[in-house]
Amino acid sequence: MKKRSIIWYLRIYIKIITQDIKVKLNYRADFVISNFAQILHHISGFIVFWLIFQNFPSVDGWDYYEMLFFYGFSLIAFTPTQCLLENNWSLPWQVRSGDFIKYCFRPINTFFYYISEVFDTKGFGQLVAGIVVLAFAWLRLEIAFSFITLALLILMLSAAGIFMAAMLNLAASTIFWTKGFGLMEFVVRFRDYSRYPITIFSGFLRYLFTFAIPMAFISYYPSLMFLRPDQVPILTWLSPLIGIAFFALSYFAWMKGAKSYSGTGS
Amino acid sequence: MKIKKYTTILRAGMLDMFQWRMSLFITFLGNIVYLVVIYNLWQAIYASSPYDTVNGMTFTDTMLYLVLAMTIFNMTETYVVGSMGRHIQDGSMILNLIKPMEYRTITFFEILGADIISFCMIFVPTFIIVSIITGFAIPLGVNLLLFLPALLFARVISYYIDFFVGTICLYTESTWGINMAKEVLVLLMSGAVIPLAFFPDWLRQVAEFLPFQAIYNIPLQIMLGQVTTFETLPMFGVQLFWIGVMYVISGVFWKQSIKTITINGG
Amino acid sequence: MQKNNNTKPVISLKGLHKEFKTLNRREGLKGGLLDLFSRNYKTVKAVNGLSFDIQPGEIVGLLGPNGAGKSTAIKMMSGVLKPSGGEILVNGVIPYNNRIKNAQNIGVVFGQRSQLWWALPLVESLKLLKDIYMIEDKHYNQMFDLYKTILGASESENGGEECRLDSLLKKPVRQMSLGQRTLSDILASFLHNPKVVFLDEPTIGLDVMMKAKIRELVLELNRIRNTTVILTTHDIGDVDALCERVIIIDKGAILYDNSLDNLKSFFGAYRTLKIKYNKDEEWVDFLINEDESSVMDKLAEIEKTNKIADIKIEEISTESVIKKIYEGEVKSS
Repeated sequence: MKKRSIIWYLRIYIKIITQDIKVKLNYRADFVISNFAQILHHISGFIVFWLIFQNFPSVDGWDYYEMLFFYGFSLIAFTPTQCLLENNWSLPWQVRSGDFIKYCFRPINTFFYYISEVFDTKGFGQLVAGIVVLAFAWLRLEIAFSFITLALLILMLSAAGIFMAAMLNLAASTIFWTKGFGLMEFVVRFRDYSRYPITIFSGFLRYLFTFAIPMAFISYYPSLMFLRPDQVPILTWLSPLIGIAFFALSYFAWMKGAKSYSGTGS
Repeated sequence: MKIKKYTTILRAGMLDMFQWRMSLFITFLGNIVYLVVIYNLWQAIYASSPYDTVNGMTFTDTMLYLVLAMTIFNMTETYVVGSMGRHIQDGSMILNLIKPMEYRTITFFEILGADIISFCMIFVPTFIIVSIITGFAIPLGVNLLLFLPALLFARVISYYIDFFVGTICLYTESTWGINMAKEVLVLLMSGAVIPLAFFPDWLRQVAEFLPFQAIYNIPLQIMLGQVTTFETLPMFGVQLFWIGVMYVISGVFWKQSIKTITINGG
Repeated sequence: MQKNNNTKPVISLKGLHKEFKTLNRREGLKGGLLDLFSRNYKTVKAVNGLSFDIQPGEIVGLLGPNGAGKSTAIKMMSGVLKPSGGEILVNGVIPYNNRIKNAQNIGVVFGQRSQLWWALPLVESLKLLKDIYMIEDKHYNQMFDLYKTILGASESENGGEECRLDSLLKKPVRQMSLGQRTLSDILASFLHNPKVVFLDEPTIGLDVMMKAKIRELVLELNRIRNTTVILTTHDIGDVDALCERVIIIDKGAILYDNSLDNLKSFFGAYRTLKIKYNKDEEWVDFLINEDESSVMDKLAEIEKTNKIADIKIEEISTESVIKKIYEGEVKSS
């Protein structure tokens, strides 16, 4: 029996999500409306920042375009999680109803099988919104652009993306232990708050939101690579590594939860 | 006789929501997190301004407003649309039409029952904590008594708006998208994500024409003692006006939907 | 159904048991609060010392009342649940420790829960499974031909559901009836030529025609590919049609494990007296233990107060046998 390699998983993954994307594109109205609503949501976020800066000069020393930078950056960081890990949101319901057990019978990795089922096409709208806002802020801030910055941008966005994914996985893994209730709601909140610079917090809270719940790594620290290129903090440089470690942790927690799941009934 | 029917449904709604008390508790915790973030964020924002009061709002005013608005939002804001969407999708909508009472009314009392529990378990504790943190900045007097009917009216308006949105979902087969668009609009134009005081005049006038500010702005202004007892009467009037309007609109769309459902067999 | 007692068993259980710790929820509001602070657990023994061997090619019925431990046993055999103790080997591996390897060699079908992709046409689901199970083209095509033969032959009877392979393949699972869904799940479960297939209540909720079709499909696949089938069911028709051997479980332990014929002969003294009071009425059944009283006596007793239009005397029905076993009237084999 041939072993299933990473390349094998990648090929199968593409096959499966291609099918799901095809199905979703069939529902034309829903696709358009959902993406439109997604973009509307982010326009609203943009308006909020605009309104704040109509009335106040800064947020903790960060100006309008810097805040928009954080915002746009976070939106792009969410996109991989939104598109690929969307099925996690169905986990509470599936755990409670016993349906989840069906993911455990195939000869492939359970986490992989579970998340391959759904590709969220709404992520497109989010990506577009994020790129527009980030580009806008980038240009206004007159940040230099070169091949190196591009490479760093991709690196930082990836790191940020991994943190977001890890957070969702970790929250989802708790569903297995709490039999279907959960911390999923917090993921939405922290995701929304990650657009604010961590400097608004001090002391214990700053520590909490950096290391315990790594909200600060989803936008703030990676963004500093570009907003403060002369004083890039060490945490920014370390974010890819910490991100990978955190994601590994979340993956193992999720798998442990799945292994201990035995369904409902007798 | 008729009253008894309604109170039975009300109790059913309450019991149903009580089953979900773990989720309610988590929502309450989420509110506290929101409180912490908003507190720090707006302190940083106000710190940047040379004035303590901007557009008539002090830091405390803003913070109270935003936190309590979010708390109101959490009270089954999306319950109706989601529930309708599900009923339509699984075909149980047709069963609801057979029942001897008007569907809209039945669901209303169910929601009201759920709201009562949510109010006790989410709003009241959050209110207490917010009061303590702001050093009891919320006046404890007649304003609280007047707040209750204002909140009730607000919920009724919100309910009929949700119902109306639910009927649109039927046509578009897109629950999430329509609902998200509605939420974004409501939250922004009601002052729930940023107080109306910070809007430029023209935008604020637009907001005042919409029913959304009757859901959040009016009850909160009453509760925070920003208006005299005498001034609350025309505000109730505005709310009642919107209840009437939304009742009629949702009724028109609902009758249209019934036709569609009965033709297509649920 | 081929049985070869000289080969190694495909499934082997020895003293398998499983305990669950469940929360003893206290009642009422006070209880709810108390539960938050001090948790009171109780241990439930779901499976209590199961032992049996299953040979390749057998179709075995796993019967028992609800809560008997059947699903728990199946979950342990399919590798998704870790036993608390005892030995278990499926296809020569310990299922829980080798979930993926075990999964490659088994198929699982749940009566009312499809494992196929909801929105995809059946043929796309099967293609994905081909990739997931790494099925070779040649074998894949062979199975398709086989399915076409078994299903394609039957015309859609009056009022019967469409079961021809070519029309099923194009339908998304969400548009299928329950029967078509179950049929599709069974096709999917045999696709990779597993050594064992577990069918969990496959005919539940289906009409008579569909049940017959599914039983026919399972029998054919078992005959042609010699796949071992473990069937849990509450439907006696399934048992009669498919199972040569039955294992009856209650409270996690085996009550009976032997062939269906043996089971019926245990109750050899029993007769079913069927009576029709009127030509147009249904048959009424009376179960009589000839060791204790005679059929003729019962007949005489009934004739005293009723007119009889027709009578039949038969062996004890499978259903009554099972019922008696649940009621504890038999010693284990």
